[in-house]
Amino acid sequence: MLSVRHLILFSLAVPVLAGISQLQADPAQSPESMLGLPADENPLGPQPGADHPLDTPENPYAMEEKIVRDGRRLFVDFNCYGCHGGRAGGGMGPSLRDAEWLYGHEDADIFASIAEGRPHGMPAWGTKLPAPQIWKLTTYIKSLNTDLEPSPPPANPSYPNPPPRRDIPGVTAGGGDQ
Amino acid sequence: MSSSLNLPSRITFTGLMWLISAVFSLSATVAFADTANGDDKAVRYVSGESGIKIPRTQAAGPVGEWWTPAGDRANSRYSELDAINTDNVSRLEMVDTFSTGIPRGHEGQPLMVDNTLYVVTPFPNNLLAFELNKSGFKLKWKFEPHPDPMAVGKACCDVVNRGAAYVDGKIIYATLDAHLVAVDAEKGHLLWDTKLGEVDKGETITMAPLVVRDKVLVGNSGGELGVRGWLKAVDVNTGKLLWTGYNTGSDKETLMNGPEFKPFYAKDQGKNLGSKTWPGNQWQLGGSTVWGWLSYDPEQDLVYYGTGNPGVWNPDIREGANKWSLSVIARDPDTGQAHWANQLVPHDAWDYDEIMENIVLDMRWKGEQRKVLVHPGRTGFVYVLDRLTGELLSAEKFIKHANWATGYNLETGLPDVVEAKRTHEGETTFDICPSSTGGKEVFPSAVSPRTGLLYIPAHNFCMDYTGMEANYIAGTPYLGADVKMYPGPGKYRGHLIGWDIAAEKEKWRVNEKYPLQGGVLATAGNVVFYGTTDRWFKAIDARNGDVLWKQRLSSGIVGNPMTFTGKDGRQYVAIYAGIGGWVGANAFEAISADDPTAALGTTGAAADLKKVTAPGSDFYVFAIPET
Repeated sequence: MLSVRHLILFSLAVPVLAGISQLQADPAQSPESMLGLPADENPLGPQPGADHPLDTPENPYAMEEKIVRDGRRLFVDFNCYGCHGGRAGGGMGPSLRDAEWLYGHEDADIFASIAEGRPHGMPAWGTKLPAPQIWKLTTYIKSLNTDLEPSPPPANPSYPNPPPRRDIPGVTAGGGDQ
Repeated sequence: MSSSLNLPSRITFTGLMWLISAVFSLSATVAFADTANGDDKAVRYVSGESGIKIPRTQAAGPVGEWWTPAGDRANSRYSELDAINTDNVSRLEMVDTFSTGIPRGHEGQPLMVDNTLYVVTPFPNNLLAFELNKSGFKLKWKFEPHPDPMAVGKACCDVVNRGAAYVDGKIIYATLDAHLVAVDAEKGHLLWDTKLGEVDKGETITMAPLVVRDKVLVGNSGGELGVRGWLKAVDVNTGKLLWTGYNTGSDKETLMNGPEFKPFYAKDQGKNLGSKTWPGNQWQLGGSTVWGWLSYDPEQDLVYYGTGNPGVWNPDIREGANKWSLSVIARDPDTGQAHWANQLVPHDAWDYDEIMENIVLDMRWKGEQRKVLVHPGRTGFVYVLDRLTGELLSAEKFIKHANWATGYNLETGLPDVVEAKRTHEGETTFDICPSSTGGKEVFPSAVSPRTGLLYIPAHNFCMDYTGMEANYIAGTPYLGADVKMYPGPGKYRGHLIGWDIAAEKEKWRVNEKYPLQGGVLATAGNVVFYGTTDRWFKAIDARNGDVLWKQRLSSGIVGNPMTFTGKDGRQYVAIYAGIGGWVGANAFEAISADDPTAALGTTGAAADLKKVTAPGSDFYVFAIPET
């Protein structure tokens, strides 16, 4: 089955590629020749967002106490807690302390969600916050539900034993009992 | 003649009922169309053994239909139907069920017009029209308004909708992105669409509109995002905006500048209180929104509504009374001009929205016949007001342990606030009862003129509240508070309270383990219906609260029961099952149980809803089987 599909793709690709080179040579070429652009050899990403590493610098901050505290302060000052919950457990927006990452758990993914915004109401903070502040928020969000979380939530009287939730590669699981 | 007598009697009877029903609904529709501007003249009173009377007009629809959100514009949620009664309700069975396909909070109730049921879904606010026939529902059509998805992230407390209103061949309702739409009731196509608010600044609409003559009235949500509350009137036929009455600002903008504006109490008298009772321009971010229920008195020709919390939860940022938050306001529906206003709680420090239903009743009150509004409050008090003047006749606690105030001074109209429970910036105030979600939430009570009782769906949470600094950033939450709620004293978080209005006290209660977050229906059959967040739909005896029937549904109930007569002459009862809303959203996986301050503080009191219900989207209809 696979070989048949590859064969079809290949046979389609050849004349179209030829069409593109003509287009580059002749700007007046009719757009019809662009129909059926060749398929990218790389599969589309399993999650929304770019299918290749974003051209974003690395998080300059390590997950240090001062940085996560700064991130927590920004989380409150910029009203993130109003939507995402007092300790980021969710509300108007989704929980940021559970095991689910709607748009990826890498620092660059979290940075992109904050900077560019997301559908259904997440604002694009990149127009208001400088990148270092967004990185601090990113670091705070990655600390949630780990031993490094600053101001972890108090016990919940209506749910005394919540299941452990955080399991991110490279981040210590557990915590929250300080 | 003898040959017709040989026919099976049930068929003859059913045929006759169809004919009567058809003729009646036809004549009612014609009469309504003929009197488009005079439908409010012919008032009749629905009454019962208690002596309480509910004024009703043709705008409520014929007996057996349901044209307005609350069954009438008095907000009684009382049906004159009695085919289902205390003797036979135990035989109630499901007729049909249908999923709307949208697993979010299904608040509100369907409408029933001319054998068609109209269901408004949560965002994306589709409108479904069902014909009810022998085999159950048949979907006639579906209307999709495609509201702006940005609205999802601006709605404080799930993406709910509280229903539609019917008038003159139109179904009118609001979409979450602050538009009002009118849809052709027969064909299901859009008649008009009017944008009323700015969703990117945090304005949404979740409430059900109310129609008075040729005007449809609706208000905004967004008190958690620093918006400015208003009530707007739109032309029923064209969708054109006719007037806006703000709830904060100058008298010119609050429409409190006419000679007819006569507040009863000194506390509410003076010029420009809507701006002067705030520091600087804070009134521009002053909340005081309108997201509950509107009511109308055809004799006084006045619309009544309550307002929400003042903008920014931290009270220290907004010194002053903060008018007109937590107020009941009476307006002329034609001009919007206010006739009176009564601020029930000045300078709120607990986020007690008073957007609750104001039920229009005529009754004996301490030996005199009075025209009243009954307002079961978020504060834990049942308020009774004179609806001609706004005078407070009574304020008694239905939440016994409500501790933010000891009571009310009826001479001044002011609460006796317990200062130790007043919240402040930089400190935590512990054990405040009730919590911000109130002694009851927006979910409406019902009243029965047979028993004289008000049926209050109450819940029992308390809270710790910490005031914090707040930065206003347009389109984001503007709170300045860290709130943690938790179950209140006693074993139960829910109570269906039978409240004797004239005696100003509770007569009985049905206790529920989980918080009640759905509305109530009372009927002339002396049956009261309500749903629970742990998925029970119940029928109780209106006189004593005895549970007569109950049925487990697919999801927790945050909707309001309604009833109607089918084409076959049988009485039906309808309810939504789809957990959601502020408290109910704790059943969603997107809210983490380990953060009691999540979901604006409700997770501490309701996270265990996850154990008894999951999101749902079902609509049920019940009836007593034909024998």
